[in-house]
Amino acid sequence: MAVQPIRFLGRQARTASPFSLPDGMIGRLDPQAQMAMQNTGAPARQEPGRGSRHFLQGGLSAPITVTWEITAACNIACVHCLSSSGKRRPRELTTEQALALVDELAEMQVFQVHFGGGEPFMYHSFWQVLERCTERELVMCISTNGTLITEERARRLTQFAPLYFQVSLDGGLPETNDRIRGAGVFQRAMSGLELLAAAGHSLTVNSVLTRYSFAELDRLYEIAASFDAKLRVTRLRPSGRGKDVWDDLHPTREQYRAFTDWLDEHPDVLTADSFFHLNAFGHKLPGLDTCGAATATCCICPEGEVYPCAFFQTPEFEAGNLHEHSFKDIWQHSALFHFYRQMGAGACSGCGQYDTCHGGCPATKWFVQHSLGVRDPECVLM
Amino acid sequence: MPESVAQYRLIAEVKIRREAFGGILYKYGCADRGALSFINSPPLIELLLDGQQQHEGNVSAAIESRHYSEASRRKLYAALDALAARGYVCIEQAREEQA
Repeated sequence: MAVQPIRFLGRQARTASPFSLPDGMIGRLDPQAQMAMQNTGAPARQEPGRGSRHFLQGGLSAPITVTWEITAACNIACVHCLSSSGKRRPRELTTEQALALVDELAEMQVFQVHFGGGEPFMYHSFWQVLERCTERELVMCISTNGTLITEERARRLTQFAPLYFQVSLDGGLPETNDRIRGAGVFQRAMSGLELLAAAGHSLTVNSVLTRYSFAELDRLYEIAASFDAKLRVTRLRPSGRGKDVWDDLHPTREQYRAFTDWLDEHPDVLTADSFFHLNAFGHKLPGLDTCGAATATCCICPEGEVYPCAFFQTPEFEAGNLHEHSFKDIWQHSALFHFYRQMGAGACSGCGQYDTCHGGCPATKWFVQHSLGVRDPECVLM
Repeated sequence: MPESVAQYRLIAEVKIRREAFGGILYKYGCADRGALSFINSPPLIELLLDGQQQHEGNVSAAIESRHYSEASRRKLYAALDALAARGYVCIEQAREEQA
């Protein structure tokens, strides 16, 4: 997404807030998480007019995008699944809870809901949820493995709008993709893409960049183009089952350097906010230049857990649960989110590139080094 | 003789939300297909909302319905030019009869 701070009429930036817990905060604040956040130091302030960070630091009235992992059920088992999906979980939201959540997101004026999982088409009431989102004019994006798309489903999905799809392919060749996503999944995903494209849906091919898929970027680009889709490349995170394969799969520094050059040659490739840590090479990539977790976005998990982002699903960083609190209360009054939004630069304090990469991904730091005060494990300056 | 008059109109895909610093413009589209801007001017956000809700997206009509000074009008139209460059606003040429 193109993010542009625009200054008009010279309003001043907000005053910095110290680490403190105002009255009325809700949710459990895990002592380990609290200490880790406090150990990052005081929040670094950005000058007004320089990037989007200072607009986000105080917390928005509502997220811009919510990632909603609507079920943990999945018909495939990717080795890097960030939410360790597989079986449906016992306390997944009921239909009534899910529809009430859509209403609440609409009333808060959340702009977009990004459905993931698990495989969202395995949620029992997914069609009703899509219908309610359409009624409430919420923009929908469905992240799917593509394997459950049939001609009938692709046609039926045309009644919902605005609706976009991200279909996952983690390699340009079957053997590379299937090594990560399972035997035969490449061909089934390609079939899903064909059916969605034939029904006229807006598509993105979503690909997690790994050490092995790096050499197939051109092939992935061609595949996306063949469906009149854009290629979207995202960063591998060591969360969920991703922890187990991180050492083997995460790209090398040399690959990242070559990847930034490749992105320069392919300006239509999308990267969302995945690779802002690569800005430290000295060349700013398009998109959000900072982590949007708990400020621009958050993640709702199948059993109602709310986390700072989809990559930070761990009990220590649970901001609240929808079985106990409303989403609005969690977003606006969660003790964890309050602390999260105040985090400082930690070991990156004083680094000349901090204003370009903002220290990288907190979730990656936590899952690799169990600290938020360290540099991003993939910091390109190390 | 009819004279061409520029009309600034919000495109239909734009959503606007008030925030403490002003507001957010969001042009919808999946992930990176859309656009997002933080606008740190509450008066501009209020004007855009007025145009969207009361004038069917016609921001020029919203400006004309308010009693701005000439200097303020110039600033607002400059801001709208910036929003047009970013794809949130389109500029239509309407014909107007000279008095």
